[in-house]
Amino acid sequence: MTDSPLLLQELLRKTAAGDAAAFATLYKQTAGKLFGVAIRIAGRGEVAEDALQECFVLVWQRAADYDPTRGAAMSWLIAIMRNCTLDRLRRRARRPEGYAAAESTLSRLVAPDTASKGAEMRALKHCLGELEEQPREAVVLAYLYGLTREELAERLAVPVGTVKSWIRRSLERLRRCLDR
Amino acid sequence: MNYDSPELREQLAAEYVLGTMPLLVRRRFERLLADDPELRRAVEDWNARFDPIDYGATVLEPPARVWRAVERELALPRASAAQAGWLGSLAFWRGATLAAAALAAAAVVYVGVRPTPAPPSVVAILSDDKGEPGWIATRSGRGGDVDIAPIRQVALDATHAFELWAIADGKPHALGLLTPEPGHSLAVQAALVPEHGVLAVSLEPAGGSPTGLPTGPVEYKGAVLQRE
Repeated sequence: MTDSPLLLQELLRKTAAGDAAAFATLYKQTAGKLFGVAIRIAGRGEVAEDALQECFVLVWQRAADYDPTRGAAMSWLIAIMRNCTLDRLRRRARRPEGYAAAESTLSRLVAPDTASKGAEMRALKHCLGELEEQPREAVVLAYLYGLTREELAERLAVPVGTVKSWIRRSLERLRRCLDR
Repeated sequence: MNYDSPELREQLAAEYVLGTMPLLVRRRFERLLADDPELRRAVEDWNARFDPIDYGATVLEPPARVWRAVERELALPRASAAQAGWLGSLAFWRGATLAAAALAAAAVVYVGVRPTPAPPSVVAILSDDKGEPGWIATRSGRGGDVDIAPIRQVALDATHAFELWAIADGKPHALGLLTPEPGHSLAVQAALVPEHGVLAVSLEPAGGSPTGLPTGPVEYKGAVLQRE
């Protein structure tokens, strides 16, 4: 499904040219994975459905902006899907309670189903593993479930300022580790 | 704020991708992005660092109404998405003339037309009382069983078990015990999953509820989504 980058790239190119059939095929090929991303972040079917709809409307309108030299078509679609989902999530209040995460967040990261991403996933896991436990928890929970700084502070039972500086330092360390 | 500082730009790009910015800050950052190609590259680089996680996301078939809504909103000609599956892409590749990339294209055609089974459709998402999803109920194909599988690993000691219940009209009906480890799932006959009901998971003694009714706290629950 997502293991045919050239096909997706070609479908996006045709979509940019106004080819509705290519656009429908693009949807068929990618909506399942993107919906999985949206549901994981939003936690609710109806938010994920609205976000998926908005995502594909944007894909139709902005397909010409996709630049194959800057990354895989699937990555471009994922970025749009994430933004649509996060925007919808931020417009509502949710999950005010705190909670104590007992399990390791690293165990929630599932291997990608695209062979070419396997090595990148291993590198990401390795570099996340070099962070201290709570800052890592904050980064992974934010990316997986779209938590805000305030929600993270509540869950990890620390002040918001602490979450902010954890995230700032962790992202900087991650970048240095991954770019090595 | 001084947006010329390379450290600050890098930091904002990273937090934008991580998703922790409040909505108004996101909007402000997106306006900066609009006419700053270098900043857009920093965002793309951060997307690439994190997106292996999303490539690993579970494939879930969205309800057909989503595509219909896209078609309606964009006033697309009714290019049937049903035709546009793998057969559609075969026709598309037959028509494509990519002489220079013939070998690469041949490989892609193989991948593109391999008949993959339709992804499962979501029946329910069972979340804890904080709204965090723990289990997902899906169904593949028409009339097939409903599979209930954990979305993540949940700690459970040997003296307890997770039991699945279907609740319709306020009455719970035992469906079986669940194993809270990724890769395990429980298959339930679709007829036992009530269309307007709720699926719930309670914490029970090992071996399941001794009474045939939930005896422990309900840890996860989710309404059964309406089918198309």
